[in-house]
Amino acid sequence: MADPSEKRKEVKKKIRKLEGLPALPPIIQKLNALIEDERSSLTQIADLIEKDQVITTKVLRLANSAFYGFPRKVSTVQQAMMLLGINVLKILIMTSSIFEIISKEDVGLWEHSVGVAACAKILAEMKEVSDPQEIATAGLLHDLGKVVQMIAFKEDYEEVKRKVEDGLSPLQAELEVFGIDHAEMGAFLMMQWNLPERLIEMVNSHHDLSRSKKYRKESALLHLADLLVHARGYGETTYVGLPPFDPKALTILKVDPSEIKEIYLKLEPRLYELKFFTEELKREMT
Amino acid sequence: MQRLPLSYIRPGMKTFEEVVDAQGRVLCGKGVELTESMLQKFQELGVSYITVEGTPVKLPWEKTLEEELELLEKRFSGVKDEFLLHVKEVLKEVLMMKHSSGAKNG
Repeated sequence: MADPSEKRKEVKKKIRKLEGLPALPPIIQKLNALIEDERSSLTQIADLIEKDQVITTKVLRLANSAFYGFPRKVSTVQQAMMLLGINVLKILIMTSSIFEIISKEDVGLWEHSVGVAACAKILAEMKEVSDPQEIATAGLLHDLGKVVQMIAFKEDYEEVKRKVEDGLSPLQAELEVFGIDHAEMGAFLMMQWNLPERLIEMVNSHHDLSRSKKYRKESALLHLADLLVHARGYGETTYVGLPPFDPKALTILKVDPSEIKEIYLKLEPRLYELKFFTEELKREMT
Repeated sequence: MQRLPLSYIRPGMKTFEEVVDAQGRVLCGKGVELTESMLQKFQELGVSYITVEGTPVKLPWEKTLEEELELLEKRFSGVKDEFLLHVKEVLKEVLMMKHSSGAKNG
């Protein structure tokens, strides 16, 4: 068997160089420059986005999707920008390129991620955690490391799956094969992409709360959202049952067991809307 | 309970939740039987989804209550943790409610 610590170095090197991994779309770099320049106007930024038809379609589609839940139809990029905020829009453009990869490789994982995003947003609103939309984005990206495994380490990923079938827990299997788990892998790629620190810490600690230092509440939130969506059985991951759950998440987040029903009652209608959305996209892919 | 795009909604279906318009105003309460003219008004006001009682529309991806409960047991097999078992009970309750005709609650 290969030495996991050697493999770990190799994985990190590959992610650092983005070998075989999606780079940020070039429009993001231009967008960054525009956003940083105080003289640029909203119209200028919207103009840039509108030059890219594919991205424009995605932005409008996502702004109109159930995930955001704006009751009115969003029909221009400028409108989407005002509603979502420019930072969310940036993250949206970035994740839409991930979406594409996830949806081709594994629709189940993508559905799981969208479900966790919706659940995380509900929890953030209930527990008054700041910027619920950014929290939802962390939900969307929490299993990014699995996408990395699927697209850049196909053979190793198959070995992980074999080990899981043989009875190993998914995290243990990942550690044996890669010397690093998907949470850390995803966070590491997010670092290369210069995403906000809060998102990175949440993703990194979503299976191990002891990894969170500064954003303990947010990390506990994502840990719980992941569990609740697994428990509901929405989408698919390498877990056949439930991922390990750390009850500290309930204390940190001040969630009482009696609140779980309220969460599911809010989540269920959202899952319906998301299912219509993902089914629609699936139809387009075939 | 099903939450459906407006285009799936037919007169005679009953609301499970309030119907809310673009400005967040409540257009219609819970347990109301929808009429053609109401649906027209909802469309004009930009309502995109409505939650209705029961499962009036057969969706290709939707599981029956029996299938849901069977899968729930599978996901929770071997679970002994008190909180997790509570989550399971809550889910059972939510699933049963979701699949009930809703005739009792007005």
